[in-house]
Amino acid sequence: MSVPLATEARRAAAARWISTGARLVLGGVFVVAGALKAVDPQSSVAAVSAYQLLPASLATIVGWGLPFAEIALGLLLLAGIATRAVAAVAGMLLVIFIAGVVSAAARGLSIDCGCFGGGGQVDPGDTAYGIELVRDVGLLLLAAWLVWKPQSRFALDRSPQ
Amino acid sequence: MSSSKNVNARERARLAAEQAAARKRDRRILIAVVAGFVLVVVAAGIGFQAWRTYRSPSAVPSSSVPSSSVSASPATIVTGQPIVLGSSQAPTTITLYEDFHCPHCADFEEQFGPIITQAQESGAARVELYPMAFIDEGSVAAANAMACATEAGFGQAYYRGLFANHTLQWSDPQLIELAAKIGGSSTEAFQTCVTSKAHADWVSSIDAAAEKNGVAQTPTMLINGKSVDIANLTPDALKATITNATQR
Repeated sequence: MSVPLATEARRAAAARWISTGARLVLGGVFVVAGALKAVDPQSSVAAVSAYQLLPASLATIVGWGLPFAEIALGLLLLAGIATRAVAAVAGMLLVIFIAGVVSAAARGLSIDCGCFGGGGQVDPGDTAYGIELVRDVGLLLLAAWLVWKPQSRFALDRSPQ
Repeated sequence: MSSSKNVNARERARLAAEQAAARKRDRRILIAVVAGFVLVVVAAGIGFQAWRTYRSPSAVPSSSVPSSSVSASPATIVTGQPIVLGSSQAPTTITLYEDFHCPHCADFEEQFGPIITQAQESGAARVELYPMAFIDEGSVAAANAMACATEAGFGQAYYRGLFANHTLQWSDPQLIELAAKIGGSSTEAFQTCVTSKAHADWVSSIDAAAEKNGVAQTPTMLINGKSVDIANLTPDALKATITNATQR
């Protein structure tokens, strides 16, 4: 009786550490990605326009606002505030990013995803859709893990007890 | 005895339910606060970027303004030909392909611009400028206005002003205001040239020329026709390269 309980406790402790790592990695990536784009509004808007999915006015708003959304979500993740809800929103954003990259690849566009600043047209041979997708899917998995197990160490969220 | 036990149990259940409700309420408030935080940050961010983009241009910091101005005389704009800034007698030609909205070009200009300007002033080098315009409409407007400024005789100062204010949208009023800010004369001819996009065809011809010359990215720099690796360039290395090219 006592053995499975101890195993259970160990598993829960391990999950909390994994969640801590996931939170810090995802949050860190979001803050860095947002900051790199926020310093350069022109490129950010150009990167959004390069996907050719939004009308110009909307692309401007997204190009200006999205980096700050990333920074805000990243900071919340780093602090561990409302982790489950924030991770869910971050995951939704990542799904949108993945859809954008897939659609750009499917339409034969030659663009940089602009994930960490930059973006826009690149030479047809210089696209990196594969790596961009692997990275985004990896981050999406971290977000999904946090939705499943939001409890973590060094977080401002209340512990379950 | 048994009835008091029942009361206790009921009391405990009531307390537990109250606590659960309070937790639920707390969670809802937390989510609302977090959502509000994100929205406020995003709204403030959009406002900040709009301000950065639409504000008035500022003068180039005085420390980086050359003492005398290069190319103070008006020059003509020729289809497919770059803008030439500096003495036609200069032994060294520095060819620059830049987009006025390309952030790396602004970084390049901040780091290496003063060295290049110095070489132009001393008569060691002249700059052949291909102002490419592929990032957005502002790139086109700025490249057109650069041609207008060159015709009006304040091309060099205008060039520096454009990069010093590279986060601006480059609407017509901003481009016209910049001329006054950098000490150029914002004549009616210049203003008409800016608002009518008088050199729009020339701007496309520059993009076509760049493509023909195999230039795919900005900034691209050639010294006497030889491509320079900007990624690994230091200010001292650039100085040495210009000196070597000039002595040869």
